[in-house]
Amino acid sequence: MPLELNETTATLSDVVTVDEVEPLVAWLRTTIKPKVNLRRCNHLHTGALQALLLFQPRITSSPTDAFLATQVLPLLRGSSGGPVLPESEPP
Amino acid sequence: MNPLLAQFLAEAADLLSQVDEGLLQLERDPSDPELVNEVFRAAHTFKGSSGLFDFPELTRLTHAAEDLLDAVRSGKLSLDSGMTDDLLAAFDLIRGWLAYVTTHERLPATAGPAGQSLIVKLRGPLGGEQATVNPSAATVPAGPVIDRAPDWLSLFDEEWLEKSATWLSSTSATMRFIRFTPDQGCFFRAEDPLHLVSQVPALAQLDLIQPFEWPPPEEYDEYACLIGFVLATRAARGELDYLFRYVPDQIEIVELNGDAIRRHLTGEEPPEPRADESAVAAAAQSQAENLELARDAYAILTAAQRSLTFGESLTGVRLSAVARSVAAAAAALGVPVETADPDAETLNAQLTSLLTEARPTPDETPPPPPPVERAAPVDRGRADDPGGQVGTRILKVDQEKVDHLMELVGELNVAKNGLTFLADAAEEEFGSRVLSRRIKDQYSGLHRIAEELQAAVMDVRMLPLSVAFSRFPRLIRDLSRRLGKTVELVTEGEDTMADKDVIEALGDPLVHLVRNSLDHGIETSADRQAAGKAPAARITLTAVADGDAVIVEIADDGRGIDPDKVKRKAYEKGLISEEELETLTDSDAVDLVFRPGFSTADQVSDLSGRGVGMDAVRASVEKLGGAVTMRSQLGRGTSTRLRLPLSMAVTQVMVVSVAGQRFGIPVDLVVETVRVPSGELGRVLHQDVVVLRGEVVPVIDLARALDMPWTADPAADRAILIVSMHGQRVGLLVEQFHREVDVILKPMEGLLAYADEFSGTALLGDGLVLLVLNMKEVLSLAARAQ
Amino acid sequence: MTTVMLVDDSATMLMSLKSILTKAGYTVETAGHGKEAMDKLAKGVKPNLIISDVNMPQMDGITFVREARKAPGMRFTPMLMLTTESEQTKRNEAKTAGATGWLVKPVAPDQLLGVIKQVVPGA
Repeated sequence: MPLELNETTATLSDVVTVDEVEPLVAWLRTTIKPKVNLRRCNHLHTGALQALLLFQPRITSSPTDAFLATQVLPLLRGSSGGPVLPESEPP
Repeated sequence: MNPLLAQFLAEAADLLSQVDEGLLQLERDPSDPELVNEVFRAAHTFKGSSGLFDFPELTRLTHAAEDLLDAVRSGKLSLDSGMTDDLLAAFDLIRGWLAYVTTHERLPATAGPAGQSLIVKLRGPLGGEQATVNPSAATVPAGPVIDRAPDWLSLFDEEWLEKSATWLSSTSATMRFIRFTPDQGCFFRAEDPLHLVSQVPALAQLDLIQPFEWPPPEEYDEYACLIGFVLATRAARGELDYLFRYVPDQIEIVELNGDAIRRHLTGEEPPEPRADESAVAAAAQSQAENLELARDAYAILTAAQRSLTFGESLTGVRLSAVARSVAAAAAALGVPVETADPDAETLNAQLTSLLTEARPTPDETPPPPPPVERAAPVDRGRADDPGGQVGTRILKVDQEKVDHLMELVGELNVAKNGLTFLADAAEEEFGSRVLSRRIKDQYSGLHRIAEELQAAVMDVRMLPLSVAFSRFPRLIRDLSRRLGKTVELVTEGEDTMADKDVIEALGDPLVHLVRNSLDHGIETSADRQAAGKAPAARITLTAVADGDAVIVEIADDGRGIDPDKVKRKAYEKGLISEEELETLTDSDAVDLVFRPGFSTADQVSDLSGRGVGMDAVRASVEKLGGAVTMRSQLGRGTSTRLRLPLSMAVTQVMVVSVAGQRFGIPVDLVVETVRVPSGELGRVLHQDVVVLRGEVVPVIDLARALDMPWTADPAADRAILIVSMHGQRVGLLVEQFHREVDVILKPMEGLLAYADEFSGTALLGDGLVLLVLNMKEVLSLAARAQ
Repeated sequence: MTTVMLVDDSATMLMSLKSILTKAGYTVETAGHGKEAMDKLAKGVKPNLIISDVNMPQMDGITFVREARKAPGMRFTPMLMLTTESEQTKRNEAKTAGATGWLVKPVAPDQLLGVIKQVVPGA
């Protein structure tokens, strides 16, 4: 499952496609202080990145994917303003 | 094989023959610019396609040929026969390579050195030294063009820009900077901009283009793409153009070096200010572009505020750089601000007010993509499409498909023929004449359609004789140069059509005959002039349709055949008796050259010798169901005439049975069928004979010749099929005659492939396989059996 | 498992593309023209990528792309057009109709597989 939604945490894994964008946005809209775990995410659809930029959830775990970790994560950090927590929470 | 390679090989064959033909014509008429162009284009296309594969030698060689042709085309060089030789040699080498590629899918190991020596020759007329220096010399002067840094460079992290500028300056390198602005609806074309960005090779830096203003969460449309990217990469321009080829309208790429970035950071003007150009450009800017500019400016302000808010405290240089971008962006938005000596706080305050004041009003906000981008493709569409495609609609069909179609037609014929058996059975076994008549009616309807279908498919298989003739200009040119003879080739009737099998089979005999003419028939210019002839000899290739046959004639005006010499040679070789030496007419003597073991040249020539003689030509033509005749006049020339069926696909055979088994005999050979009382068969010198209208015709017992046990009923009449072979009548004693049928002859396979007495097999309407006799072999079998 | 739907009226083209894709481990669905492909989509075939010829009987490629975008679950599916070198106009039309990109015939295996990786995340 590319998208697992819990009460406060969304876990994005593997390839997050455009199909995951709608449920992710719905969840972000309704969740107070949302947290997103990107550790096992390999690809983020532009729509999903955009949603993370808009709703600015706390990124709880940095991705292992090199591109996401080195290029995309800094963009999310810049806009959300929050530091990325060390990998404290298990996925 | 890789379908692309297969396609290339098919295309290559066409291109090679174009080049060959063009070069030969060009040598004769070097002033024709259209011809040069044609050859050049063919070579150019060739080089282009070869580049798709890993055949560097091929590309290099075609490149050299193309350069030489280009020089000819532009009038820098005039083509001489030495250059033509080199060009022809180059394309010959390529032809050889491609034959190797066809089986091995790679170039032969010798390609490198073989190609290189020709490249040196081809480059010779262009100034040979270029051949070796070329690679480095060509690339050095063409360095990358450095663009002026665009305003959107401010969207990058400044610290990173500084570091990069230093690094680029110290290495004299450049980097490609891209602005990627997807349109709002791009997700609905399944575009995923971030996925594309993730594939950018050697990505050095990525930053965001955020919207002017994010919509409130409740109004947010998650399927509208609102963001864009700016990125920097060390990837080559070509790689980037390829990667972004589906979205060229969303992409802007600039090439920058360290200095260009530094100038952007310090706000310096580029060394050569292009005021005029920028003024003109500014004047030409459309409303939409202004809006886009505003969008960029706004994004820059946002980014500036971001770096002020979240970055660690800014140092002097960075702060003034930010201030300059803010000033520039503010100016672009039409709200100039004073940023002479700013501190972080003032700047932040200015930014806040700017972001509030200068926010584009809703109706000003360009819904991306701006209208221009929408309109552009439509305009291009109109310009590109002036009313449909030009050119004829021709299908290139795989030969195998046509062959298969022909086989199916054959099977349809066979199935159709089955109806006549059924009609007979309806009457004989079931006693219904009415049903029999109805089946026959059905048959005749089906027969008509099958015949038309067959004619249509045959028509598809028809090719013009020019296909067979096309190799001769080249062949004659090469051979005559080697032999030091001057020969002019004239072709006539090359648009005569014949079945492709006939055309293909005609190739080798024709080559042999033409070589013979050049080698033996045609004299040197000196000899010709001494004989009072024009110095240039002439070879004429003519094709004419003659009913169901096509006649191809190869005529030369050479020395002709000396019948006495031929007879003497034949006698020396033991081919004719002393008596024949005396009595043979001149025309019969000429025919001796077709006897196996005869060769008129005193030595086997390297041209036409090669161990096969005219007997091989006759054999292969006869195998096609054709005939060869030769006429010659001493001192005036020789002409050889090949008569071939227009089509070999369908053969009419007469079915006979022997010892209870049926055989087919090509109807062309059958003269008549006769029944004679057994008493009328006579015997002359151990040979059965029958006398027909005063002529004594030898009779061969087909059962005996084929080694089949059968004894004729002594009381019954004898069924004799009279056939004609080389003008000789021969009777074949058979058990019974049957009908004539149209069959598709298939070559013998398996064990029977070695049985020379059969020329092929065919399927009959009742499902039986019919063996078709090769009469020539049968007759020689019969001769041996006696 | 990535499923690719090929739509082309040329059996040879279908065969050659299919063999390339099957060897590369993709599941392949084929259709001889746009109508047949629409029928398959209606029956619940859900490809991850559609590759369609432009000129086809019954329903041409561009109409097909426009229609297929409306089919259930096909809104965001990458669609590539098979075009010839000269069909620049068709490419623009196809993009307007919702195509993601195009391939130029004849298609080399490396090129085909590369493009799939480019337009289908995770393929």
